[in-house]
Amino acid sequence: MAAANLVRSAFSGLLRKSTTFRTPVTCRLSTVALQQKFRAAITLAKAHNAHQLQNEVQCQRIQQYSGGAPKLSPQQIEDRVMKVCKAYDKLCGRQLSVDSHFMTDLGLDSLDHVEVIMAMEDEFGFEIPDGDAERLVRPRDIIQYIADKEDVYE
Amino acid sequence: MSAARQAIKVGTKNVRPVLSVNHGEAKRRVLNLYKAWYRQIPYLVKDYDMPKSEEQCREKLKEMFLNNKHVSDIRVIDMLVIKGQMELKEAVNLWKQKGHMMAYFKPTEEPKPKDFLSKFFSSNE
Repeated sequence: MAAANLVRSAFSGLLRKSTTFRTPVTCRLSTVALQQKFRAAITLAKAHNAHQLQNEVQCQRIQQYSGGAPKLSPQQIEDRVMKVCKAYDKLCGRQLSVDSHFMTDLGLDSLDHVEVIMAMEDEFGFEIPDGDAERLVRPRDIIQYIADKEDVYE
Repeated sequence: MSAARQAIKVGTKNVRPVLSVNHGEAKRRVLNLYKAWYRQIPYLVKDYDMPKSEEQCREKLKEMFLNNKHVSDIRVIDMLVIKGQMELKEAVNLWKQKGHMMAYFKPTEEPKPKDFLSKFFSSNE
């Protein structure tokens, strides 16, 4: 009922004022603009679809903002983990192997261990939850964990 | 007999936990707090314009955590963690001032006299 009233009042306003006759013109202009835009939108969509349909096969498009990092090899992961361990100031100059335990063999306390794990987070760019972090007590555990996370297999 | 039983009951009373129910959980909370502080250090040094390097601040942070390493009561640990979180919040939200941050380093506190003569002088002041 209210909507009908609104329409009626608008219509009467249209009849009463001469200035309101200008509005259809602007309307037509705007529809032209809309049509032009629509054509552009169609071409854009076509280009998008062409990109998505490669060799007639629907492929999922994955947007990668950094150009996509190449996949790590297990050896690379090991090198990087050991590099980070060696860079940690309480471990540099110590005899460090993949199987040495951070606390019993290398004499780190739990706070040092947290720092090592944080250095790993910084190096590989993801966060390790606390529950997982306390189980990563050897460089080998960390390498295994990161390989699982990055889907790297031998 | 019943008095003795009463005494045993009092001695082994279960107290209501503050936050954590076992040592593992309490330890996790402590390490979590340490991590949060550690991550905030670069920003704190910058925001408060502290005349200390990040390295020195990390050392200080570790020292302050190790000051309480003898604490074994879970409720006390929880309480210390809560206080630490409050302090971290104050620091991060800039509710503290530079002086509060520098007070951790105790720049105005003089070391206690060690040898006989300096002890003698300080006692005579």
